[in-house]
Amino acid sequence: MSQRFPLPAARHPIAARFIADAAAVREAIERFGSPLHVVFPQVMAENAAALAGVLRRHGVPYDIFYAHKVNASAALLAGASAAGLGADVASATELDRALAAGFAPNRIEATGPKAPAFIERVAALGITANADDLWELDRLAAVAPAGSAVPVVLRLSGFASPVVPHSRFGIDLADADAALETVRRAPGLELRGVAFHLDTADPAARVDALTESMAVVSAAYRKGLRPSVIDIGGGFRQRFVEEPEPFQRFAQELVTAPPGDLVWPGHDLGLRHGGAAAHKYGNHRPAIDVLERFLAAEIERRPVAEVLRECMLTLWIEPGKALVDHAGLTLTEVLYRKRAAGRDLVVLDLSRNQITPADQEVLLDPVLVDGRGDPPAEGVFLAGRLCLESDLVSRRKVFLDSEPSSGDVLAFVNTAAYQMDLSASSAGGHPPPPKVAAVLDGERFTFLADDTHGS
Amino acid sequence: MRYDSVLDMIGDTPLLRLDPAAHGVPDAEIFLKLESANPFGSVKDRVAWALLRDHIGEIAAEERVVLEASSGNTAKALQIIASMHGVRFRAFTNRVRVREVREMLSLLGAEVTEMPGLSECPDPTAPNDVFGVIGDLMEGEPGRYHHTSQYTNEDNLRAHYEETGREIYRDAGPVDLLVGGLGTTGSTRGAATYLRERNPDTTVVGVVAAEGDFIPGIRSAAEMWEVGLFEPGFYDAIAAVDSADAISASLELATRHGVLAGPTTGAAYAAARERLLAGPGGPVTAVVIACDRMEPYLSYYRHRRPDLFGVAGPAPAPATAAPSAAPEDLEAWSAAGEHVVVVDVRTALAFQAGHIPGAINLRDDLLEQVMEAGMPFSEASRVVFVCPTGDRSARFAARAAATGRRAYNLDGGVLGWRDSGRPLAGV
Repeated sequence: MSQRFPLPAARHPIAARFIADAAAVREAIERFGSPLHVVFPQVMAENAAALAGVLRRHGVPYDIFYAHKVNASAALLAGASAAGLGADVASATELDRALAAGFAPNRIEATGPKAPAFIERVAALGITANADDLWELDRLAAVAPAGSAVPVVLRLSGFASPVVPHSRFGIDLADADAALETVRRAPGLELRGVAFHLDTADPAARVDALTESMAVVSAAYRKGLRPSVIDIGGGFRQRFVEEPEPFQRFAQELVTAPPGDLVWPGHDLGLRHGGAAAHKYGNHRPAIDVLERFLAAEIERRPVAEVLRECMLTLWIEPGKALVDHAGLTLTEVLYRKRAAGRDLVVLDLSRNQITPADQEVLLDPVLVDGRGDPPAEGVFLAGRLCLESDLVSRRKVFLDSEPSSGDVLAFVNTAAYQMDLSASSAGGHPPPPKVAAVLDGERFTFLADDTHGS
Repeated sequence: MRYDSVLDMIGDTPLLRLDPAAHGVPDAEIFLKLESANPFGSVKDRVAWALLRDHIGEIAAEERVVLEASSGNTAKALQIIASMHGVRFRAFTNRVRVREVREMLSLLGAEVTEMPGLSECPDPTAPNDVFGVIGDLMEGEPGRYHHTSQYTNEDNLRAHYEETGREIYRDAGPVDLLVGGLGTTGSTRGAATYLRERNPDTTVVGVVAAEGDFIPGIRSAAEMWEVGLFEPGFYDAIAAVDSADAISASLELATRHGVLAGPTTGAAYAAARERLLAGPGGPVTAVVIACDRMEPYLSYYRHRRPDLFGVAGPAPAPATAAPSAAPEDLEAWSAAGEHVVVVDVRTALAFQAGHIPGAINLRDDLLEQVMEAGMPFSEASRVVFVCPTGDRSARFAARAAATGRRAYNLDGGVLGWRDSGRPLAGV
């Protein structure tokens, strides 16, 4: 018997209850088919309350916009609306969905690079434009009707601090003055504030970006503009595991394991030496931790939360991952089990791209629904059904809690963030799995079709 | 003692016996191995010299550039040794987190490449891995670089085995307990290997920072396995110490024992004492590795313990409230040619971003101290105190009013001023 290196996924109580309810899982598959994405709007509501709780506790004036791009689900979008959040949309399609979900235009913010037609709609509706470039601003200035006040947030980048990661997005600080000038001159625009988004958990990076952004706030005041918002975007982590040890044990073993033992031959998991400690799937700290640490970090020996109040700025955040953390899972039937390339392979009714974002390996073990008996000694690899050697749902050897066989249902936990939609294709005539919202109503789960795809 | 090269001064550091009356652990002999006495100030002097000693001539002759992943003491020592030999050195790090260390490296002319933290969004091509970058550089121009690789180079271990461990045994005899911080793990492991060969019962404890906490120079429990030299099975225990305990213990070393050692040493001393106090008792010889000095971490101490740096708490508010002024009053006074001083008590960052035109900035805690010393405002001027909303500035206005100044609190604060459409000035 070789050693086991399981990576058990943390499970929210609602997800755990659903997986344990074999009858509910069976009902979902019978009614909606396999594979199937299940979302839990109740979990999202809990996440929204947790984020808002942190901001309230620190006494910061705030607003939260749900980054809809994280999941195309209409049920989750409706959940964000019910929780009183705003919507962060990245395209005309997402904008339509937000309007359909009942968000008023003044509760919607458009982020990311925008095409001219999208810019025109943003201006016409008067939703907040989070500008990625001077080109966008010029367009926006040209189409915003004189006398209107289309709110503009300038997304900044090019920070001097070495701890702030570089970004391809945003307006370089060197161009900030030109951007302010464009807003000042445009008869239909109003500067709402400045923004950044950092792809890191490091509170020091956000502190430095905030500090540098204040120079733009200052320049705005000098021009007679009245910024009132600092938008720090998202980048809050998900909590994938209960404890760090299994991931550390696995990553450590990976360094010395013979090739092809823990990873399917010809692949690596992108865990280069020294790069795995902070891997997102190894994170066991709460999703609100990054926000909490940022607000508690210090500027001039004073907590950031306090400094933000002193700067008279409302803090906007645009979480996606943190809001849908644990708010979804993916079910698939096991087609069959076979030996291939000298290894134990479980072939699933699913394609890799339908559960894997940007081909980034999902380093967690799925759960066998209604699994019985002792955990098998050996791990297995998981294969998809496309005509590609690379269509492995897991290139990492996974360790299941019981023996899988044909017809069993496998549940991938915590897949609502980007995993369902970011890369899903219809290759080979396999459409992306349908979505269903599962709501725990007393002792029972009820289901609501939620067939929205593609973000 | 006379030396002909500073490099000859590396190693053979003192072993200091701590006064039992001052450390308070019954029956224990606790020794500090003062690696801080090395000429560049830390245990890493040994490592840097061990990594370069046999190669530096060749590196200089071939004009190669030395590369290392380090953000602190190793980079400092390597830079000094490289400079002395006319060799270029480049350091790579995820982040230099302590200001003095960063400034010291600049002063010495080190080329430090700081690389931001790991990407967490789905982007498998994020190129920010220190070891990957060093590897890419070396592959790109073979023969141009020399990677000292402190984390995986066995010379690091050997230096501590042959020197540090031997010296400890020579001066202390058989050791029952060895405690050291886990950074590259070389110092503790190398010395422990030697000591265990002399006394197989030597207990070895590696000290890490508590989960989510930060102590400069050592790793946190979660990052430990990243280090190539780290073998979990080697240690009898891994002790996690939080930064507050590390700081307290290092202050105790300074005030009771006269040893100016940094927070990592504090962490190791705290872990050693806790283990000894919890142990079975009886005579025991313990050695704690003091890896560097206290002074380079002043900003770390200041950040974690501002109370030790004379930052006073707020004084009680006077009984009587000061009169309040509305924005219109300020404008009217100014229009009438009166001299009005607007004192903004917010942080400099907030003040610089936007303030009432003409205001001066005296941050509340500073103003508190200034007012202790005497009222700094003329009786001839009106003085208006402002904060974001008017709640915090009120007590300053009250105190000034109590001394006969014509002092006011701005109603609604800077926020009210801004939201009424009045202009703000930026710096």
